[in-house]
Amino acid sequence: MKKKSVFSWCLGLLLASFVGFGLFASSEVYAQTTTPVKARSSVSLSPSPSPSPTAEPTIAPKVDITQKTQEVVGPLEKIINEQTLGPVWPKNPLKYAIRAAVEAGVPANTIVFLLLLPFIAAVIAATRHLVGLRGFGIFLPAALAVTFVAIGPVIGILLFLVIITTSIVFRFITRKLKIKFQYLPRMAFLLLFVVLGVLGVLFLAPLVHQPDLANVSIFPVLVLVLLAEDFSRVQLGKSAKTAINLTTETLILALLSYLFLTLKPLQEYALLNPEIFLLAVAVGDFLMGKYVGLRLMEYMRFRKLITSK
Amino acid sequence: MKASTILGLNARATLFSYRYNTARGRSVAASKLRTKKCFKKAGIPIPAIYAKFVRSEDVYAFNWDGLPESFALKPSKGLGGEGIIVVKKRDKNLGTWITTNKNKVTVDDLKLHTMDILEGAYSMGNVPDAAYIEEYVGRHSAFRKYAFRGTPDIRVIVFNKVPVMAMLRLPTKESGGRANLHQGAVGVGIDIATGITIRAIWHDEVIRFKPETKRKLHGIKIPGWTNILEIAVRAQEASGLGYVGVDIVLHPERGPMVLEINSQPGLSIQMANGVGLKKRLEKVEDLEIRDAEHGVKVAKALFASVFSSRVKAEEGIKTIDVFQEITIKTGDGRRVKSAAKIDTGAWRTSIDKNLAKSLGLLDENNILWRKKVKSSLGEENRLVINLTMWIGGRKVTTPASVAKRLSLKFPVIIGRKCLKGMVVNPVVDLEEKKRLMEKTYN
Repeated sequence: MKKKSVFSWCLGLLLASFVGFGLFASSEVYAQTTTPVKARSSVSLSPSPSPSPTAEPTIAPKVDITQKTQEVVGPLEKIINEQTLGPVWPKNPLKYAIRAAVEAGVPANTIVFLLLLPFIAAVIAATRHLVGLRGFGIFLPAALAVTFVAIGPVIGILLFLVIITTSIVFRFITRKLKIKFQYLPRMAFLLLFVVLGVLGVLFLAPLVHQPDLANVSIFPVLVLVLLAEDFSRVQLGKSAKTAINLTTETLILALLSYLFLTLKPLQEYALLNPEIFLLAVAVGDFLMGKYVGLRLMEYMRFRKLITSK
Repeated sequence: MKASTILGLNARATLFSYRYNTARGRSVAASKLRTKKCFKKAGIPIPAIYAKFVRSEDVYAFNWDGLPESFALKPSKGLGGEGIIVVKKRDKNLGTWITTNKNKVTVDDLKLHTMDILEGAYSMGNVPDAAYIEEYVGRHSAFRKYAFRGTPDIRVIVFNKVPVMAMLRLPTKESGGRANLHQGAVGVGIDIATGITIRAIWHDEVIRFKPETKRKLHGIKIPGWTNILEIAVRAQEASGLGYVGVDIVLHPERGPMVLEINSQPGLSIQMANGVGLKKRLEKVEDLEIRDAEHGVKVAKALFASVFSSRVKAEEGIKTIDVFQEITIKTGDGRRVKSAAKIDTGAWRTSIDKNLAKSLGLLDENNILWRKKVKSSLGEENRLVINLTMWIGGRKVTTPASVAKRLSLKFPVIIGRKCLKGMVVNPVVDLEEKKRLMEKTYN
């Protein structure tokens, strides 16, 4: 219960932050035709409370935006404007609503991510329900995917690995030194170490001159840190092997979701046909819920039983 | 085997666990302390509880030095056997014990562990939990040679008051004395009808011998089998769960006791038995079962393992005639001869109502279930009874349907189900047929 609410809260915050800086940034983001990843990171600085090593990028996009919002329109907004619409009912209510919202200044990519989120959830549910990958629930991979969008998959995975390594090393050390803490102090200690690890990565920024690294904002990092808690909980409860397997599966799911989130044709389709898109996702969810057959991995597990006799 | 006979996670949740398990039942199963309370009330045997810890004050107030030689410290909502400390004997030093894994634990260790449990280190979602200390149940002599250190238990899956499948779980070196399959314990499938083990799995692979030894794992006879099954069914009835896995340990002196119940029992039991669970569950889904005794009877009739026919195959193939004299076991245990016809077009054996009645087979205790049959004469309610008979000297126990066969020449028709390990000689000996028809039986 608690875990879920924390993640949904985080997800909400993430999306809110998208709305926040998306307002200023979206036009610039797509005008550059770079991946949204890079663009996102270049702007994520402005609302983030984390200390910014350089001051220039914060100012630059702001200046750009104030100048260009009127003339230059982002590709997603452009697509919306190019679409010719029939009567509102019965097929186009969402299209009109989206168009009105975008005209009022709601960034199109916020709407796109919101539309894609149920789809991502369905994909993650399918990998669990039809394929049999486990992962850490449904919120974590989704949140991780959004994190990857925000700070880029490379930095995302790097931070993720740093966090996992820290929690493994922490466990190893406490075991070697025979330090016996109760659960909550132990977790608090672990989070301290994880934060040190993340700080260590951020302190590398002046050395490697990677703008992606320098522009990491707090919310994606927060999601990653929460993942460390989940990871070490599994690690404490079960074996390290199970924890690593689960984490790998979560990572695969998150990367898959990330690919879907950033897939241009999918984004455009969702934006231009929101009614059909959402209905298709709903139908997919319903059919999946009705499926009571074996999962793909169960076919593998029970294959000897199935082939016998 | 068809894939549709196997129970997967999706079907377990949607078709059985969610549908037949009440919220109350699930919460009873999730907390071992509530399970125990519930079973104590229902008079189901459980290991004795020495102490309960709900708040941290309880931990300090408890007299730890007064604990007996052997005991088990467990979390109430632990998952997969985690967080359990089993102490087997006292160390030379006061306030120190030796666990089943030969580690030393002190009172301080136990206190810290209990505090961990209360904080929720072993519960699902890390919600605060309770801890308890219960009596240590040692190994029953029947399993002494098969288990490594820990106590083996018997997992019985009960659905709709019928024990559907069972498995003996043997701790190994790898599982550290715990009887959970995913921790490396060995699962041994058990024939429901006889309580004899069939085959074993380890890490989802079929094995013949106990790991690192040459000790056969099939053919182990579980003592007091019928009693174990009946206790499992009674546990299911008391728990409020329709579909449940009941874990039973055999106390060396006091016999079977229920350790815990599981509202979503694992699926590896299918590998251990080499049989799909879904088909079995569907078979008993609509039956009306009166009580534990009845449920066990139905299970034994329905789920007798194929291996009993393998035994027959070793005896050799028996040739029988189309018209055959058989011996039927009556309600009071006598053996009575009767004429029978082998009908390979029928699946189940059927017996004439009058004959069944005169043999005392229609006693309520012997009726397995009733089923509605539609025929040209309209709908009729047919009984299915438990029938034990000897065909050509071979003992067969089977469910048999009861029919009014007044107009027919033979009061018993033997179906294919009872003919495993036999062949039917198609040549009809008319003399013999006539002799059988004219002979009167009593």
